Amino acid sequence: MAMTASTSSVSFSLSNWGPVSTTRSKIFGPRLGSLILHRHPQESDLDLSLPSTSREIRLETPTFLTSTSRGVVPHLSRDNVKRCESIRWVNVPFESFMESNPPVPTIHPGPDPLHKFLGFNQSQQIISMSARNPCDGRQLPPNGKDTVSVWTLQGVRKLTPSDWQKYATKCQPDVVFALSDTPFTDPPYSQKRMTKSIERSAQWLARLLSSPTIPLPSVILHLAGLSSSPARRAFSNSLLEPLYGPELEAVAHMGIKNLDEGVVGYSVDLVPIRMTIEAEGRKIASTNNTATPSALTPMFNQTRHLAVPLHTAQIIPLVHSSLSSLPPFKLRLINGIESPHEVLRYISKVGIDVFDAGWAQKCASIGVALDFEFPVITRKDVGEVGRLQIGCNLYDEAYQMDFRALSSSFLCQCPTCVPVSTPEGEEIKHGVDSEEYTRTTAIPTHPSTAVLSEVKGYTRAYIHHLLHTHEMSAHTLLTMHNLETLDRFFRGIRGLLTQLENSQKNEVASSLWDDEVSRFTLTYDELASFEVLETARGMWKDVDIKRGKGRLSKEKNEGEND
Amino acid sequence: MEFEVIAKCKTTKARVSRMKLAHGVTMLPTFMPVATQAAIKGLTSQQMESLGVTLILNNTYHLNLRPGLDVLKTAGGAHRFQGWNRNLLTDSGGFQLVSLSKFTTITEEGALFASPFTGEPTMLTPEESISIQHTIGADIIMQLDDVVSSLTTGPRVEEAMERSVRWLDRCIAQHNKSGKKDSQNLFAIVQGGLNPHLRDRCLDMMVARKDGVAGYAIGGLSGGEEKGDIKQCADKLPDERPRYSMGIGFAEDLLVCVALGVDMADCVFPTRTARFGVALTHSGPLNLRLSKHTKDFGPIDDSCPCPTCKDKVSRAILHHTITHETAAAHAITMHNVVFQAQVMGRAREAIIAGTFPDYLQTFFAQYFGKAGYPEWCVNALRSVGVDLLEGNPNQKVIPGTGAKWEYSDNPAL
Repeated sequence: MAMTASTSSVSFSLSNWGPVSTTRSKIFGPRLGSLILHRHPQESDLDLSLPSTSREIRLETPTFLTSTSRGVVPHLSRDNVKRCESIRWVNVPFESFMESNPPVPTIHPGPDPLHKFLGFNQSQQIISMSARNPCDGRQLPPNGKDTVSVWTLQGVRKLTPSDWQKYATKCQPDVVFALSDTPFTDPPYSQKRMTKSIERSAQWLARLLSSPTIPLPSVILHLAGLSSSPARRAFSNSLLEPLYGPELEAVAHMGIKNLDEGVVGYSVDLVPIRMTIEAEGRKIASTNNTATPSALTPMFNQTRHLAVPLHTAQIIPLVHSSLSSLPPFKLRLINGIESPHEVLRYISKVGIDVFDAGWAQKCASIGVALDFEFPVITRKDVGEVGRLQIGCNLYDEAYQMDFRALSSSFLCQCPTCVPVSTPEGEEIKHGVDSEEYTRTTAIPTHPSTAVLSEVKGYTRAYIHHLLHTHEMSAHTLLTMHNLETLDRFFRGIRGLLTQLENSQKNEVASSLWDDEVSRFTLTYDELASFEVLETARGMWKDVDIKRGKGRLSKEKNEGEND
Repeated sequence: MEFEVIAKCKTTKARVSRMKLAHGVTMLPTFMPVATQAAIKGLTSQQMESLGVTLILNNTYHLNLRPGLDVLKTAGGAHRFQGWNRNLLTDSGGFQLVSLSKFTTITEEGALFASPFTGEPTMLTPEESISIQHTIGADIIMQLDDVVSSLTTGPRVEEAMERSVRWLDRCIAQHNKSGKKDSQNLFAIVQGGLNPHLRDRCLDMMVARKDGVAGYAIGGLSGGEEKGDIKQCADKLPDERPRYSMGIGFAEDLLVCVALGVDMADCVFPTRTARFGVALTHSGPLNLRLSKHTKDFGPIDDSCPCPTCKDKVSRAILHHTITHETAAAHAITMHNVVFQAQVMGRAREAIIAGTFPDYLQTFFAQYFGKAGYPEWCVNALRSVGVDLLEGNPNQKVIPGTGAKWEYSDNPAL
């Protein structure tokens, strides 16, 4: 499925159609795929001499994308991003760049401005660009007929579809998320508002695709309609309507007959859907006392941690209504995941291909080291010792003397658990510090009295210490570890699906997948895991107040005297 | 410790030496970045290693509070705890006792202070300080000294000086009987904040104890003295021992100290200022928070070998992220650590090449431009035979100390 002529193009193909024979699970069951990014060398491209493989990035799905904030992976400087093989797709919410006009990345000189400006490697990372942070549910002023409200540090800005097209063509990300009219005013929303939402979203997609002269990055479309099944269905149908007249002419350069043909895949942002469902639930509950909140939110009403419950059971049919009429072979992406359990549910019941990693990165920011595996192999024993959580809250005093590696179930290969030293002699030299002067070829190694010599990397005790002393390095180390743990989780998922695909009997394969998912659910307690996260968040806040704020303002005052 | 002076400047007192410790060789003069709580803020030990840094500093007072000695002992020392395989230096913890606790009273026995955990009176004796530092396991450890503010006058100053010498004797005795002498090295601290007469006596007594110590630190300069003190100390300290000037971090201060014969220095300034968006360059500091950098796609310094500049991280993206994203602080911290190392590395090269006075001239001219030289720098360098104004007679001279001193162990960190 080749996209527009551009400097890069994304194609997606499925390798299986779900291991089960019934039509429905064929469309919405677990699936394997590959996303291939081709970079087309330009005249000006200095890397023309590179072998063709370096102009191609291949991602096997299901997989994840790494979230960024203000254009950077939180807590990772570029050298550390390079150390993380798990970072292969980064999504860049563009709104922070709208603090200056024109946005700074749009005036970056040379080819691949976004890659260059943000320092991502063209042969290593796919960059997608979205207008907003898809997990930010803060209230915003209403969108207009031709504007989306976006959030910047300097207040709300208005983004128009034509500016969005301009930014996408100037920045040349590999993938652009079409502008969507998702309201972030006080939910729930009227039917009239939803009608407007799906109409505008389709119009804005048409606007984005109508770029005859400048190559457009591959487009992923957010499936509009929020919590309304009819609205979602109507939106999908509108994508499939044949274009004619001026609308067709506007996209003639792409050789497409309807809007759907202009997109490589679909995305679903869970955060606004959850907020809408929650608001509708409150509304019903206030007018009708028989509907208890627990009936509306069967799964997670008891967890304190989630400002908005997951509502997975309600959301899955909504996503189905969007996807039913659309071609099943296109990429499916979800933003706003909260746990590995949720990932497994959306793979099992919807056939999602790409998930955001925001939740795992958030865990790193609040002191949680992820520790789980799929399929569950090494921790099959847990039935006897009680269920596990998906991670450790390293603020907990229990880790003060815990010199074990972060992962309990496998030997994690992340740069935190297996730090790689700079090869001898390749450190930066500053003058009179070469071997000629130091007269040493190797750094002496030290036999230690410690009993823990088998642990190569950073320990739980060290990160516990860093967290309580409010040291930034804690979050760096945890981010690298959590992303690798997530990567391994998805490798496990793909490994199992590959194995099942190869097995001939679909019925058996399907039940094997379900068995492994329920083994995971039984091994790792989702509710208890959320409690761990909640406790960590509280402790993070305490330390931040105690050592962060006061300290920062003190430092600031001194900084001014410098 | 193996310590060997391999070259001397023919004009100034500057020298290049090779210091071999248990975790490798560090070439001197050098600047030591400060990892107060067992981490250079935001960076991993692997990152520090890749920057070509071979010696960093941990603060005893902080590590003793957190993670505490039990944890460090079980971990197998601070090196292992923080994954740092190069050389490490710890201070005695005494400075923070005085600066962080209002209730500290000094007695002959040691420093009496209120425990930060229980509030109970707790005594830090010289023996205790040394044994704490033995547990931490740094390659270089410091004696406990009786620190007085440089503003203090009268008999208390002399008392503190003499007590510090007595405490040095107790530290030496404790260190000698510990069996750690081959892996850890004790430094004495010469009190800098004294009048020349007292300082002279202090130096005499400390030099007399040369066999018990591996090197000398010059302390007590946090109050803003001129560096005449350092000259007096460096002149008198034995050639065959490294000299460490505590709490010096501005590039111009470092180079003046090197010219006066100092081998090592530490300060939180370069790493802390990075977190506030200030990148140090050979053309002077650069405040990346200023809006003039919004659209500047150039790196901090084209010729800098640090990972940030080599990767062409632009001033624009640093401006966009600094104070909002920790990653920006990390990027500038790496740059500033490398800048300090480059200033010192170039000094070593110039000393060996016999061009150190020229290096001073070009560094000051580029670093200060037309802004003017600090008067004390001009004066201090004149005292070792370098006249900064010689080739630059129209340069302004800014009176006073010009730059402020910052002690390495700033309690704010």
